[in-house]
Amino acid sequence: MKHRSTSDTISIIVFLTPAVLLFAAILIAPMVMSAYYSFFDWKGLGEAKFVGISNYKELFTSELTPFPSALKNVFILAGLSVFLQLPISLGLALILGRGIKGERFFLSVNFIPVLISTVVIAMLWKVIYQPKGLLNNLLRMLGILKEGDNNILFLADGPKGHLLGSVIAPMLWQYVGYHMLLMYAGVKNVSPELREAAMIDGATPWQVDRFIVIPSMKQVIKVCVIFSVTGSLKSYDLPALLAGMRSVTAAFPSTMLMNQMFKANRYGMGSAIAVLLILMCFAFALLINFIFREKDE
Amino acid sequence: MKKFLATVLVVVMVLSLAGCKDDKKKDGLSGKLTLWTIAVEGDSNYPAYQQALKEMKEKYPNVEVKMESTQNDDYKLKIKTAMQGNDVADIFFTWSCAFLGDFVENGKVYCLDDMYKKYADKLPEAMCRNTTYNGKKYGVPLTMNVVTLFANLDLLKKAGYDDVPTTYEDLIKCCDALLAKGIIPFGCAGAANQEWCITEYIEPLIIKTAGADVMDGIFQGTKSWNDDGVAKAIDTFNDFMKKGYFAADDAALDNDTVKANFIAGEYAFYQNGSWNCGDLAASGLNIKACEFPVIDASKSKLGQLTGGPNDTLAVFSGSKDCELAAQYCFELGQLICKYGYLAGSGLPAWKVDYEAKDVNYLTAQVAKLVEGANYLVLFGDNLQSTEATEIYLKEIRKAYNGEVSGKQFAEDLAKAIR
Repeated sequence: MKHRSTSDTISIIVFLTPAVLLFAAILIAPMVMSAYYSFFDWKGLGEAKFVGISNYKELFTSELTPFPSALKNVFILAGLSVFLQLPISLGLALILGRGIKGERFFLSVNFIPVLISTVVIAMLWKVIYQPKGLLNNLLRMLGILKEGDNNILFLADGPKGHLLGSVIAPMLWQYVGYHMLLMYAGVKNVSPELREAAMIDGATPWQVDRFIVIPSMKQVIKVCVIFSVTGSLKSYDLPALLAGMRSVTAAFPSTMLMNQMFKANRYGMGSAIAVLLILMCFAFALLINFIFREKDE
Repeated sequence: MKKFLATVLVVVMVLSLAGCKDDKKKDGLSGKLTLWTIAVEGDSNYPAYQQALKEMKEKYPNVEVKMESTQNDDYKLKIKTAMQGNDVADIFFTWSCAFLGDFVENGKVYCLDDMYKKYADKLPEAMCRNTTYNGKKYGVPLTMNVVTLFANLDLLKKAGYDDVPTTYEDLIKCCDALLAKGIIPFGCAGAANQEWCITEYIEPLIIKTAGADVMDGIFQGTKSWNDDGVAKAIDTFNDFMKKGYFAADDAALDNDTVKANFIAGEYAFYQNGSWNCGDLAASGLNIKACEFPVIDASKSKLGQLTGGPNDTLAVFSGSKDCELAAQYCFELGQLICKYGYLAGSGLPAWKVDYEAKDVNYLTAQVAKLVEGANYLVLFGDNLQSTEATEIYLKEIRKAYNGEVSGKQFAEDLAKAIR
């Protein structure tokens, strides 16, 4: 075993220090500060009052801060992301990866929603969801909504509305192209010789995908699952734009965080939500890694 | 001769310099200021800010003002975050009562008592009530607004009414007659995040049922939400919903769409802030601005309105030149009030010492309503603390969704808001 020389150690310290400092200042320090403030009742200005774990307790017990409802919503989103969005992305990636005609064109078309600003997407879907908007008219044209039936209230925040579904649908749609691109890169990484060999042995294109391409893409799929689960947990922009930050039916942890912190001036409560979000993201990333590692072994 | 000419030239130059000095004195103010507002392009107050700033530039050419506007909701986040970092503009827009109160409490706002003396004859003391804390003034009110019941008289005529009913019983009969003719009586935005539009109906209902003193006391924390009048008002609102006085589609619409629908003749009434007067008057419809009738005459009376001076300019205590900012703030506030009033985006909080005959007919009608007002209760989402406001608006949402009875509404809020 070789021993590092003193000059090597100094070089390592010199090169690593700026990055470590930056990492600590931008990531670690705010996390520690959030954890600290989560034990206080603080309005953002003035003195903070220590309240122990009561912010955390309130999150799970009070009707006024419907965190369980936000968690339920975010798990629905994460579930749909993993079991609906990712299979669609995978399907598209596999089809495009076979080198079909217009491969580049379809790749770009599917990726366009990722490039469009979320604000624009929210505005577009708001138009689609209007009571007299595109979707209701389409449903009438298709005969799903009969004459005399009320319009479907996609953006109504209550038992008569479908706000949660209306928020989730564009979120799934927007990132199909993103995951498709990652998976497409994975598909293209599979050696053409392997494909050809399987074809010569009489495998159908589906069998090639099922037994050769998909198993070779496990690492890419793992990354996509981590991205889609942690992305769901952190989702903020579309829920905030379509459902606002006060909604209970379409509450998400991040919108709740913003509502508590900046609307209700409860910085302690907002910090508690932030801490739980960070912990959940770490926990799920580790869990997904563990699940995929198990299969490796 | 040369000596004479030289003397004349020297005298002329000295006089010119003296003249320049006098000019500067005339300008009075000089320096650089920053200004934060919510008057983004498209906002009903945007033209008033532009005109006011243009006039201020002419009046005070030596004051350089850098204005930055942010949309309403984003501004609330921005100003609160900036206050924590002590990085706020010299003059900033704010809402009165609890919103400004938090900043005042933490020493972030410059006291305007001394400067107010200079403008006391133009700005009535009563208009500063919502920005006065512990007897000290901290804000310059701009325009004031009240909740107004706008009625489309042409639609009322179709239901057999030549004018807006003045009693509650007649109003209910009128709504039933409108429904019979296939006309939706009221327009109210109910989509997510539009709770404030629902309060424009619920707060007047509470005031006209329980009395303005009760509503005011509840918002100020001196009375309990658990009041029979409050419960009755919510039950009345629930009845309106059940009877179909509001369009079902409105539950998924925002205020801009509902306002556009009212202008398109889809509803007979639209109850919202008086800042809509300009737009509605320009629509060409035959509209009348009035107040919601009294429901319980033993507790309420006509002239008890929701609203008051709320839009405010304040001076950041950390400004490099607080005196300059304070004076500029008063001068600018006065002009924004003037041009806002003339454009129909609000009523004047300042005395009207200018020609105002061109004010649109709806603003003039609302001005008369306010003249006859005997009690103004500021909007609940401004008068209450931010924390209480969020709880209140969540309960308002439940009431709109028909998820709570009047009694439950009153009890829930009494329990949650202490």
